[in-house]
Amino acid sequence: MDKFLDSLFLNTSRIFAITVLVVLVALFIVLFKEAKPAIDAFGLQFLTNTRWAPNMDIFGGYPAIYGSIVSTAIAMLIATPIAIGIAIFLSELASPLVAAIVGMAVELLAAIPSIIYGMWGLFYLAPILKDIWGGSGLGLATAGVVLSIMIIPFMAAITRDAMKTTPDILKESAYGMGATRWEVLKDVVIPYVKSGIIGSIILALGRAIGETMAVTFVMGNAHKVPHSLFEAATSIPVTLANEFTEADTDLYYSSLFYLALILLVISFTVIAIAKFLFLKRVQEKKI
Amino acid sequence: MATVCEVKEEHIIEVKNFSFTYAGADKPNLKKINMPIGKNAVTALIGPSGCGKTTLLRCFNRMHDLYPGNRYDGEILLDGKNILGKKEDLIALRTRVGMIFQKPTPFPMSIFDNVAYGLRLQGIKSKSELEGRVETALKDSALWNEVGDRLKNPASALSGGQQQRLCIARAIAVEPEVLLFDEPTSALDPISTQSIEELVLKLKDKVTIAIVTHNMQQAARISDYTAFMYMGDLIEMGVTEELFITPKEDMTEQYITGKFG
Amino acid sequence: MKKSLLALAALAAVSASAYDINGAGASFPAPLYFDWAYSFQKATGNRVNYQSIGSGGGIKQISARVVDFGASDKPLKPRKLDKKGLYQFPAVIGSIVAAYNIPGIGDMKLKLENKDLAAIFMGKIKFWDDKAIAEDNPNLKLPHKKIIVCHRADGSGTTFNFSYYLSHASSDWANNIGIGKALDWPVGLGGKGNEGVSSLIKQNPYSIGYVEYAYKLKNKFSAAVLKTKSGKWVSPTEDNFKAAAKHAKWTAKKHFYQILALQPGDDSYPIVAATFILLPREAKAKDKEVTKFFDYAFKNGDETAKKLGYIPLPKETKDMIRAYWKSNGIF
Ligand SMILES: Nc1ncnc2c1ncn2[C@@H]1O[C@H](COP(=O)(O)OP(=O)(O)O)[C@@H](O)[C@H]1O
Ligand SMILES: [Mg+2]
Repeated sequence: MDKFLDSLFLNTSRIFAITVLVVLVALFIVLFKEAKPAIDAFGLQFLTNTRWAPNMDIFGGYPAIYGSIVSTAIAMLIATPIAIGIAIFLSELASPLVAAIVGMAVELLAAIPSIIYGMWGLFYLAPILKDIWGGSGLGLATAGVVLSIMIIPFMAAITRDAMKTTPDILKESAYGMGATRWEVLKDVVIPYVKSGIIGSIILALGRAIGETMAVTFVMGNAHKVPHSLFEAATSIPVTLANEFTEADTDLYYSSLFYLALILLVISFTVIAIAKFLFLKRVQEKKI
Repeated sequence: MATVCEVKEEHIIEVKNFSFTYAGADKPNLKKINMPIGKNAVTALIGPSGCGKTTLLRCFNRMHDLYPGNRYDGEILLDGKNILGKKEDLIALRTRVGMIFQKPTPFPMSIFDNVAYGLRLQGIKSKSELEGRVETALKDSALWNEVGDRLKNPASALSGGQQQRLCIARAIAVEPEVLLFDEPTSALDPISTQSIEELVLKLKDKVTIAIVTHNMQQAARISDYTAFMYMGDLIEMGVTEELFITPKEDMTEQYITGKFG
Repeated sequence: MKKSLLALAALAAVSASAYDINGAGASFPAPLYFDWAYSFQKATGNRVNYQSIGSGGGIKQISARVVDFGASDKPLKPRKLDKKGLYQFPAVIGSIVAAYNIPGIGDMKLKLENKDLAAIFMGKIKFWDDKAIAEDNPNLKLPHKKIIVCHRADGSGTTFNFSYYLSHASSDWANNIGIGKALDWPVGLGGKGNEGVSSLIKQNPYSIGYVEYAYKLKNKFSAAVLKTKSGKWVSPTEDNFKAAAKHAKWTAKKHFYQILALQPGDDSYPIVAATFILLPREAKAKDKEVTKFFDYAFKNGDETAKKLGYIPLPKETKDMIRAYWKSNGIF
């Protein structure tokens, strides 16, 4: 009987595991199939062509790809130091009470739906940035700022959790050598959780690059490679969100799928790198 | 009142009427302890789990100060000076009183950098001085033969016993007056344990050692004095052979004959 | 007590014979369809569920026969209707205004030639005090400020109708940008939906954008005076929209395929457009239920339409639609 239950359990979980794989592969196949007409029509030039004129059946993905990468890069540049700073404060510096309260706030912020950040960005941030930067206040820079604000709590929470995994006795050993807080942090905690921090950066990157709702409002939505970071631009998810429902020619529709496929490949690469790093970390620990 | 023997060596540490209370505890976890620690001797702390051995040990370098709300009462004199004062320079104190933990705690850096860590904290930058002192420390901790040719390798690649000796090397590199060991062999195999024990015996010429152990044989093998604690009280401190053969307190006798604990 | 029981029984009786119809498509007329559906249900007990998913989605869903009717801001050509097996008729008329946000210049004070409007949206006229604008507005103090162009980021019937109008007003536009639901905009900010464009206009002083008239009312925008096909200045008012609607030459043979921009007449506002309903040709019984709803709306819904900023179809057009239904056996 026990044996039967055991094998039942084993097989059920095996089926679930295989289902995940099947869904993944199916997703790729569907995207590829739907993108095929555009791939055939434009080939790899799609990646570099800057013109997007749906009414003339001309589709180039470069502005959207460029916007995705640049806005994400800006977000990461802003968010990484701030998030690590918050994580350090929460895990090493704050009193337990403050750490608990602020930590909870950070977790709550991380759970806020991204559209709220987008609305806040459009109605409050954009007008302020407009006064500072000039122009309309919409563009890659604003999108980067909104994205960074969206991922900071997420990154800070993961980084804090990673930092908390530093064994107390390891930190105590450093203190026991006469190290200051800063030295313990710099020499022991951060190197110890380095791969955790990199992991959180990459997860946040994955989130930022696929983010739609937080940036549709503040990108400015122009299929252009902007001359500056303060001019309207677009990104892959924003293009998909804006244009899917009304894409009424086959090539238009399939070009959007082509963009989706590119986004999936980018995200996949990012996650694969993250996984690789985590794996390395686990192996290191085993030795 | 505890029975405390005569300690013939100079008293490098003198615990006087000392009580300690953890944050949030409603009564002291260490109660009115009085005991000396002899210079260049090995003093072992034994007693059943939870009796306060670790707690006492961590008072000697004020490790408890890392966590808020803990309270010290009474005095602990190091070289005749109370270390419990508010103005005590903890960083300086900890370079004088080093500590080895239950598990090896190599820092995530190379073998060389681990041993040089405390030296660099003290501001030593000269490469030749660092190299010289790292080598001495590794030799003193009987590790040089094993790692001398791979100082650049990460410390995490060493075996558990080697890692623990590395931690000892790291601690003695800064030439402390006192070394505190908290069950340093509890995570190690018998052979590594033996090498650590030999090391302790060798080191006592240079440094005073206080060691917590739950292993009475270990205490008997390596210590000059043994202190038996029970529920936050010091019950008896004696010359090691005497304490194990003719304990003066009933409780000590019961404990060493295995009646409880 | 007894009374309410009776009422309940009556309700039950109604709902026993009541039916549900599902529609999907254009978002622009959605508020009106919701309102019509609400009063239709109160009057007849029949439910109309309308999902505002955009014209493209509406066409897709009715082509796949997922819904009972589709709605599109862009009419399908008769050939396409034959291919997909669909009937088509207009439901209501909307108009598009050029809404601007120039501090100090009020509603219908700014006059813009149709070709100048095209040049603005192409980024060829860059400043509000450009000579081309100034010469039509001698009485206005135009600021030397950069024009911020606001357009739709999503594909939309509104963009289709607006670009159709610009293409017929400016050969430069026709040659370089063309007509479509989504365009390669040379300049400007994109907003999603009329709401998105509206909020861009509101947030950016010295901006201009095109929105459905209903959004001008809702946001109290200032809108430009444009020119009729015959070259007369014409304000964005309901009377002038209606004048344009009157000139439309609908024919049942072409399934009412007709784009209403630049209609003849000295008071015909140039950017007026109908929004359309699509029905499957094979589902006659269900179609009858749908036409019953629109018949009800044509009879009772004009006031709501006006209130929400739409222009009801002229009576003659409604009659023509009923005749079209009858001749196809779906009424
Ligand atoms: N961080 C702490 N906070 C509160 N109480 C503690 C803490 N650490 C240990 N204690 C308590 O202090 C007593 C002594 O613990 P400890 O010194 O670790 O015992 P030992 O090392 O002898 O096994 C125990 O009752 C234990 O529960
Ligand atoms: Mg202990």
